[in-house]
Amino acid sequence: MAFQVSVPLLYFGGTLFFYLSAILGVYPPYFLCALLYFCGSLAVLFTVSLLCPQRVTVVSPFPGSHFSVQRNQTRYFYRKTNKFGIQSDDSKICVVMVGLPARGKSLIAGKAMRYLAWVGIPARVFNVGSYRRKQGTPQPPAEFFDPQNSEGEKMRQAAAQAAMDDMLRWFKQDRGVVSIFDATNSTRRRRQWIYETCANAGIETLFVESICDDEDLIMNNIREVKTTSPDYRGQDPEAAALDFRTRIRNYEMSYETIGEQEKNFTYVKLVNVGSTVIINQIKDYLSSRLVYYVQNLHIKPRSIWLSRHGESEFNLTGKIGGDSGLSPRGEAYAKALPSLLKKSGVPPDTKIVIWTSTLKRTIQSARHLAAETGYEKLEWKALDELDSGVCDGLTYEEIADKYPEDFAARDEDKYNYRYRGGESYRDVVIRLEPIIMELERSENVIIVTHQAVLRCIYAYFLNTPQEQSPWMEVPLHTLIKLTPRAYGTEEQRFKADIPAVSTWRGKGTSAKHQDYPADLKK
Amino acid sequence: MDTLLTAEIVANSPRFRRKSSTFVDAIHDLPEKADLAPAQLYSTESGRLFHSGRIVIITVGLPARGKTHISVALARYLRWLGVKTRIFHLGDYRRATIPFGQDMPDDYFFVNASASSVLLRQKIVKKCRDDIYQFLNHENGQIAIYDAVNPLASGRRSLAKEFAKHDIEFCLVKTLFIESWCDDERIIEENVRRVKISSPDYIGWTSEDAVKHYLSRISARIPHFQTMEEKELNYIKMMNAGERLIVNNRSFGYLSHRIVFYLLNLHVKTRRTYFARAGVSLESDSYKADASLSAQGEDYAKKMTERLLQDRNAEKQTMIEQGETDYELKPLTVWTSTRRRTIETAKYLHERGFKVRQRSQLSQMNPGVCEKMSERRIREEYADEVAKHELDPYHHRYPRAESYHDLAVRLEPIILELEREQNDLLIIAHESVLRVLYGYLMACNAADIPFLQFPRDEIIEIIPESYQNEARRIHIPDLPQEIIPASPEDIKIPVPPSGVVTPLFGGLGSPQEGLATPQSGFRTPREPERITQQHVEDVV
Repeated sequence: MAFQVSVPLLYFGGTLFFYLSAILGVYPPYFLCALLYFCGSLAVLFTVSLLCPQRVTVVSPFPGSHFSVQRNQTRYFYRKTNKFGIQSDDSKICVVMVGLPARGKSLIAGKAMRYLAWVGIPARVFNVGSYRRKQGTPQPPAEFFDPQNSEGEKMRQAAAQAAMDDMLRWFKQDRGVVSIFDATNSTRRRRQWIYETCANAGIETLFVESICDDEDLIMNNIREVKTTSPDYRGQDPEAAALDFRTRIRNYEMSYETIGEQEKNFTYVKLVNVGSTVIINQIKDYLSSRLVYYVQNLHIKPRSIWLSRHGESEFNLTGKIGGDSGLSPRGEAYAKALPSLLKKSGVPPDTKIVIWTSTLKRTIQSARHLAAETGYEKLEWKALDELDSGVCDGLTYEEIADKYPEDFAARDEDKYNYRYRGGESYRDVVIRLEPIIMELERSENVIIVTHQAVLRCIYAYFLNTPQEQSPWMEVPLHTLIKLTPRAYGTEEQRFKADIPAVSTWRGKGTSAKHQDYPADLKK
Repeated sequence: MDTLLTAEIVANSPRFRRKSSTFVDAIHDLPEKADLAPAQLYSTESGRLFHSGRIVIITVGLPARGKTHISVALARYLRWLGVKTRIFHLGDYRRATIPFGQDMPDDYFFVNASASSVLLRQKIVKKCRDDIYQFLNHENGQIAIYDAVNPLASGRRSLAKEFAKHDIEFCLVKTLFIESWCDDERIIEENVRRVKISSPDYIGWTSEDAVKHYLSRISARIPHFQTMEEKELNYIKMMNAGERLIVNNRSFGYLSHRIVFYLLNLHVKTRRTYFARAGVSLESDSYKADASLSAQGEDYAKKMTERLLQDRNAEKQTMIEQGETDYELKPLTVWTSTRRRTIETAKYLHERGFKVRQRSQLSQMNPGVCEKMSERRIREEYADEVAKHELDPYHHRYPRAESYHDLAVRLEPIILELEREQNDLLIIAHESVLRVLYGYLMACNAADIPFLQFPRDEIIEIIPESYQNEARRIHIPDLPQEIIPASPEDIKIPVPPSGVVTPLFGGLGSPQEGLATPQSGFRTPREPERITQQHVEDVV
């Protein structure tokens, strides 16, 4: 939309400023009056250009002296008002956990956060308990949580308030997209308060309630919490378990499940780890995606083992990609894998499922394991190595030689770099999404796959940032055992005593595989 | 396998598995050759994905609860992901078996029906199930959607048992029930009004009377309906058009969860989708420079807005003339990409008070190194890439560029939001984006998608009907010839096949009569195949 401003209008602006100064009792010297008029006309132009979106033309009585101000060049306004005042879509969501202690809330919260970060959505957990600990009750007794204890109630409300303040600040300053408000939030009053506070700040709420009446699962969680929760660190485990159970009972007294009065809220109820799910009033895509993810989760204890394939023929020559068989040393690793797995600690009567890619080297690596243990085996196309396109079958030296630009570009931004005709790490993450969902649904799994894929899966479980994950060291002939816990994932590495070449290369270094520097190791 | 019976059904029914014209949704057609689906991430030898085995999805719900709509939409999405899916509407089999004009027996749905009705019922059901088994066992099918009322718990239990029994290759067939349950009278009435009473039976009735009559007929015909409470079955209960979902999960796999995810975004109300191109911009052939509209572009934006609103008004008028005196258009929402020229094309609509949303995912396909290059230069500098592109224009990407497949994967959130949207929707975007979205809504073959054409002088309207979608063109008059062509300022992807004289092929030179629209610009599935083969001979 073009708008024309005539010179008299500008003159009028100048006069306005002049009178304004007169009203304020300031009579400027003569030469400053001209400046005042000038400022006034500028102010008019400024106001008009703010109101009118595109182009402002000043029409003067003298021919040839028109000039126009085009809005497109003023990027600042463009960004701020989004041009026509159109809101671009940035829904912000606060995920509010609801449920008694030991129902896997923190586990779900932590996982959802990692998942979102992994797919590239800024997310953060705000754990009210940790605010409470900071405020002077690091290890409160169970009585603290008695609904009759008004002192405790007050302190808990203060902690929730502090967490909420921090959360709103995070949304505002750090452009957060999804926050996870991790607390019991067991009363209707508390939920109403959260809902209203968020609504006032323009944030959608999604309540996630975890209900569980399976005694075994709860016991398992209690056992886990008393050993890992900061609330009980350093205490006698038996006393801790007793105290924790009293705490749960105190919460049970005032616990209200999400009910008909809250039917306008967006919520998900997970009954007994997703065997029944009630999903209410989902209003946007991001929430539906979160619900989709949360549905796949379970809180049964399990471990995931990750291994690369044994050393391959291509590894020996430093070539990337391809579909080569194992080298003799790789074959030795395949034979050693069953005992290595046993060494890493497999609880008795555990069923493990073996996942491999569809490439020869992983199938061969898992062959003896499958034969000796009789575990079920699945081959996933999605676990295949990052496709290096035209560079498939070349060594790093040959790539640096043939495609020097590409080689440099990959070092610059390895996560987003896509091989010609091939894939980037980002692409791999997209195709791994079904794997991650299936992995979340499954219990004990051992995955035998390739370096890049393993880095991506590892990054998901340990929340490695995108800049770092493509550079991570994953040596050959090493078994990684990951055990998800309520407060993070536990990692153990078991090295088979079989030498292998290194396939790691540092950022910006020469085009050769090299040993991982000792000082970078933990 | 009683193929003769099936053939008889095909012959008898005008609606049964009909072949679609290109302007009609291809959701009920099966692609003749196994092609990768538009958003398929990988393929397997068995043709089944995600290690999910075979699934029969069984719908539950009274008529006019949107069952057919749900099954069609779900099939559309699953096919898009590459899962081999087919819908079996029991109603089609019934219509095919009971000759046209003859009404079905009154006690057809009764529990204690007469012997002849039971026999008829069994005959129809058997034909349908046989086809399902045929599809799952011999045609590499992965998901069969069995669209029927299934009102009784006992019937559902035995169905689940029967399908579970039917395992071949030691691979269980899983069942998943999807119930559409509704107690909101308004939703039911709207559904009835929309799809059910357009039948010849109700000519001359007022819509209110027709709705009442239809509903009373349903309750007389299907007196017993039990909502799903069977804890031992896998089911998803959708209440009041997606307001609430209850999921009873016995053994869900990845695919079942994915279905829930999709259903979370689906509602059973229908609305129209319009596609329009963005206007021409100042620096037209640059991807990186985010240029504003030129004067011609502004003019286009104005005319497009006027034409669209005029068309919508005309539609309202016809509805009112047809007796729907209180007919109201759904509000219109506009989506644009975050690129300036699409936002500016929506300007006039915004000024008239329509809601405009910018969506970053709608931005056009990244042309990579081909940006600003003439077709000839691309051919010279990237001869081998052009050769690869011609072999597979859907999946091939030029260096640093995106392929249509990348675009389709990136548009997944948009597709789910598209299903979620309750208002009528106008999407203003680059041609490459429109191609992919059109391909989703009309179940196009991946190989055809790069060749769909959207000339600027047409707004494409997709009209959803519960059985399938239909597309309509709205012509925008008085546009200057030079801005109409399908993809003049497009990056030169797709590069036209060699052997064809360049200006002849639509979109690159002047617009060709008959090549300019999705309808006629559409290539039949056989055509790309032939070209590809020819090309292989050329190359080899």
